[in-house]
Amino acid sequence: MSEIFFFLLLGLGMGSLYAMLGAGLVVVYKGSGVINFAHGALAMYGMFTFDTAWNRGEFYFPWRDFLPSHDVNIPVRITLASDGSWPMVPSIILALVVAAVLGLAVHFLVFKPLRNAAPLGKVVASLGVALYLSSVALLNFGNAFPIPKSIVPSDPIHNFLGLGRTYPSNTLWAIGFAVVMGLGVWCLYRFTTFGLATRAAAGNEKGAVLLGYSPQFLAAVNWVIASVLATAMAIVVGPLQGPITPMGLTALIVPALAAALIGGLRSIPIAVAGGFALGAVRTLLDIKKQDWFDGPLLWLQDGISQSVPLLVIVAVLFLRGHSLPIRGSVEEKRLPLSPQPTRMLQHAAVWIVMVALLANFWQNAGLRTVFAGALQTTLVFSIIMLSMVVLTGYIGQISLAQMSLCGMAAFMMSRMMADGLPRGSNLVPVGGPNFPWPLAALVGVIVAVLVGLLLGLPALRIRGVQLAVVTIAAAIAIQSIYLENDELTKLRAGVPAFIKTPTLVGIDIGARSGRFQNERPAFAIFLVVVLALVAYAVSNIRRTGTGRRFLAVRANERAAAAAGINVARTKLLAFGISAAIAGIGGVMLAFKQVEVSSANFPYLASLAVLAFAYLAGITSVNGGIVGGFLVAGALIPVGGNYLLSDANLEAYAVLFGGLGLVVTAIIHPSGIAPFFAGAWRVMGNWVCRMTPGAVTLRDGYGGQRRRELSVVLLAMWVGAALFVYNATFIEPMHWRIPLTMLLLWIATVIAATSGRYGPFSPNFAGARDEWASWFRRYGAWAGVGYVLGWLIWPLRVDTYSKLYMPLLGAGLALFAQMLYMQTRSGEPHDEALTDAEAHADELEFEEVD
Amino acid sequence: MALLEAHGVTVSYGGLHANDQVDLECEKGTLVGLIGPNGAGKTTFIDGITGFTPIAAGRVTFDGQDLEGLTPDRRAHLGMSRTFQSLELFEDLTVRDNLFAAAERPKWHSFLRDIIQPGANERQYVTQVEWAMELLDLADHADALPADISHGQRKLVGVARTLAARPRLVLLDEPAAGLDTAESQHLGQQMRGLLDEDISVFLIDHDMGLVLSVCDYIYVLDFGRIIASGTPTEVRNDPIVIQAYLGEEAGEAQARDAEAVRGLTRDGGSSDG
Repeated sequence: MSEIFFFLLLGLGMGSLYAMLGAGLVVVYKGSGVINFAHGALAMYGMFTFDTAWNRGEFYFPWRDFLPSHDVNIPVRITLASDGSWPMVPSIILALVVAAVLGLAVHFLVFKPLRNAAPLGKVVASLGVALYLSSVALLNFGNAFPIPKSIVPSDPIHNFLGLGRTYPSNTLWAIGFAVVMGLGVWCLYRFTTFGLATRAAAGNEKGAVLLGYSPQFLAAVNWVIASVLATAMAIVVGPLQGPITPMGLTALIVPALAAALIGGLRSIPIAVAGGFALGAVRTLLDIKKQDWFDGPLLWLQDGISQSVPLLVIVAVLFLRGHSLPIRGSVEEKRLPLSPQPTRMLQHAAVWIVMVALLANFWQNAGLRTVFAGALQTTLVFSIIMLSMVVLTGYIGQISLAQMSLCGMAAFMMSRMMADGLPRGSNLVPVGGPNFPWPLAALVGVIVAVLVGLLLGLPALRIRGVQLAVVTIAAAIAIQSIYLENDELTKLRAGVPAFIKTPTLVGIDIGARSGRFQNERPAFAIFLVVVLALVAYAVSNIRRTGTGRRFLAVRANERAAAAAGINVARTKLLAFGISAAIAGIGGVMLAFKQVEVSSANFPYLASLAVLAFAYLAGITSVNGGIVGGFLVAGALIPVGGNYLLSDANLEAYAVLFGGLGLVVTAIIHPSGIAPFFAGAWRVMGNWVCRMTPGAVTLRDGYGGQRRRELSVVLLAMWVGAALFVYNATFIEPMHWRIPLTMLLLWIATVIAATSGRYGPFSPNFAGARDEWASWFRRYGAWAGVGYVLGWLIWPLRVDTYSKLYMPLLGAGLALFAQMLYMQTRSGEPHDEALTDAEAHADELEFEEVD
Repeated sequence: MALLEAHGVTVSYGGLHANDQVDLECEKGTLVGLIGPNGAGKTTFIDGITGFTPIAAGRVTFDGQDLEGLTPDRRAHLGMSRTFQSLELFEDLTVRDNLFAAAERPKWHSFLRDIIQPGANERQYVTQVEWAMELLDLADHADALPADISHGQRKLVGVARTLAARPRLVLLDEPAAGLDTAESQHLGQQMRGLLDEDISVFLIDHDMGLVLSVCDYIYVLDFGRIIASGTPTEVRNDPIVIQAYLGEEAGEAQARDAEAVRGLTRDGGSSDG
């Protein structure tokens, strides 16, 4: 008994950090109505600032110069002491000042502009801040994580309280600090005018304004208090938990949220007490788990202490979910509209042509490999993003555990495929039923759905932001209870799970080539097919009753219930569908990785997925797909990397993601997808116009045949791209393009005159005229662009293909011309564009009756 | 048996009885009105009947079925739908989709068909949605978002949304508020028209002209209690109603006139006022 008591006392050390962070969350919530997911990150940045100043004599600004040049550079690092160590007291002061400035910056740059935004907007903005700070910290402070020195005496106290054990004295200091600071803050809010005003503003913002208080000023002060407190506490407690990592400190948000929720987001003393209790229980479980969780409970041994915050959060939210304060703010905005998917085939055409071109763009074998890998990453993450579109975009629920669901599916599939033979780096055989891959994948997806439904249960009781809190805690619990749990996965520590290569009727559709590179086109095609099916399903959901009910629930749960919609079942359905898509994404990710480990599915990746989906436009299918292009390792960062001469943009993907998320949340909540939708329309027209004559030929056909011809056209384009790339036998390279055009033309004619489509179209002569007029109208532009491209190519001769640079030039020239015509006329229905519109209509998917 | 029957319905907020022992019946094929001054508990009554507010005591039956313990959506499925005073439209959906969302009665597996065969599930609801839109002249705005149409039209969308499910009873919470006299009259005609379509109507409104002209039977609520009921003529001539309702709603002069008798009747009527 005294042993347990002692371990509980020991845990108060960590508890003091939870307590202070929890109190900080309450302070921020009172001050500005934001549940600050970046609170751990704020403490982390301050802590690292202190540590690098004191131990390395350096100071890093919270930003990066991502394009270092020889001439103009943004200051990032300041050397404080050339001997590598700055005195302690100035270091502390510096860290606290940095914390205060960060708090102010976060308030004024992020949450003040967002004060009237939808709750989801505030959540994603705070996630953006967290992602930004943690990735900046990784880049600035490096990933050699120090064990920080303690600023308070850390001599052991022998025979502490007569319990016969040795207690570290710095824990006592930490507890003392937390109690004193907690009391101080409590007094501040209880007995001063400032505290009274803050409480008044939290209750009724408008009323506070009328009484002459500026809520924004109050909020700013509260942000500073919370940020400084968190940093101070992290400096004192930091050394207690071993090496400090940006991730680890950022993840402190979860127990801190639990503590804040225990205090009902209202009471600082209860939050502090809750934080202490949480730390004590967790430490106790950490030490005693080997004794207590054995035999039938062995499977809980690894994850139990990490799951305590989840249990606490769920319990608190279920017990007092309705009594948590909701801030009476002046006006709340809704999530951006979710556009109805239209012209689906046109969109698909553009996407597929783009992907096919990108995949074949790079002549240099090394780059082709890099880009083929990036393409695979892109497609996998597009699938995962679509799960967010259903859940957040359509029905307005937040899940920060999507990657954990992916992980469940991937691990489960691996297990179902296992056959007891050693494979890959897993030399200790894992037993399993040896299912074929489709069955194993199905089992994985079903498990993901079950876990997803479980995640959705709290959504029946609680909404929005609080749900985000539950799911982030659940993500950490899933990670520690299942993904990292040797007992359940049967993997020996640190060894990844092996995934067998998928085959389709005997054809290898795996991701890796013979030289272990993610470059096999077969897998990319597999991914495109899966992505297309998922995107089609997600579009269909939006266009039909299921989506209407989702959006109805998102808009107004009361009215939805009055209209006969079962809100609870609808929400669970959304969670289920979303989890199924995430599961499919996880399975595909597993196929791509070949060996998966829990490191592939960290909770932070879930945040990044939400970030990129929101950034791209979480309410539309296009947004989901664009989101996949943005993640680290996907086409846009990799391509940007290449174009900006190896600026290592990939390392900045999360940083940009966080920053972009904040900016998007503030200035353009519907994300960048609407822009893409517009650009796609123009590009879709452009692709159509690049096949002169086709439309005239098809004018004689209608209905089904018209649609078939659209597909034939599309196939011809993809074929042409492949042909130009591979036709190395045509030696004078510049003949390849005219030859391809000729082949395209012949193919069009054959398609139009084949038996399937009857005799020559009566419009055949018209088609020839169109062909000629196309050249008259665009030939000059294309030619100029081609020549320009040809002139430029020697600059990057090592990498750019001699062929594609001119083609790219021609393409860009045509695109520019089109944009020019559009802007000049000011409206899309310009004379020059009307025929393009007509072409575009050809590719349009006919309305489903 | 009447379509909707409420016996001794009591709704309490804390110690306050927002509805106190309300007895009310709505016969099939009739248009029943519930009137009363501000704060009389009219909306609370609808909330109680449709399951949005728990009923502390009393019993509600719809078509003979006891509604106790049924969630709002179950009650809607029985054929009872309501509008809201504050409209509460689905702002993210077009007018047509607002109606469809209320009309559809999905099964648990409907989503599969939606994914595989989009458009198949809604086919059976097209007629009733078109009918509701025709009835309230919304066909021109079918593809507009609620935010883009006028306030009067938004009101009509709210009503049309309840009708789209082809309910047997609609409960309209102040549908005429904010409409001008002509629009209000037109709405009255449309409501009478519903009776021919086999839809009974339960109407709450402030517009005395509207209520007295269209209703078959009227209940008067004040301070949570039914103080009078009868045909429009009976209610119009009921002195208690004139004091309770017109006395407060009408102009200053009437208020002064009523003041003399008020003290006498109020003592017995409701002591908690």
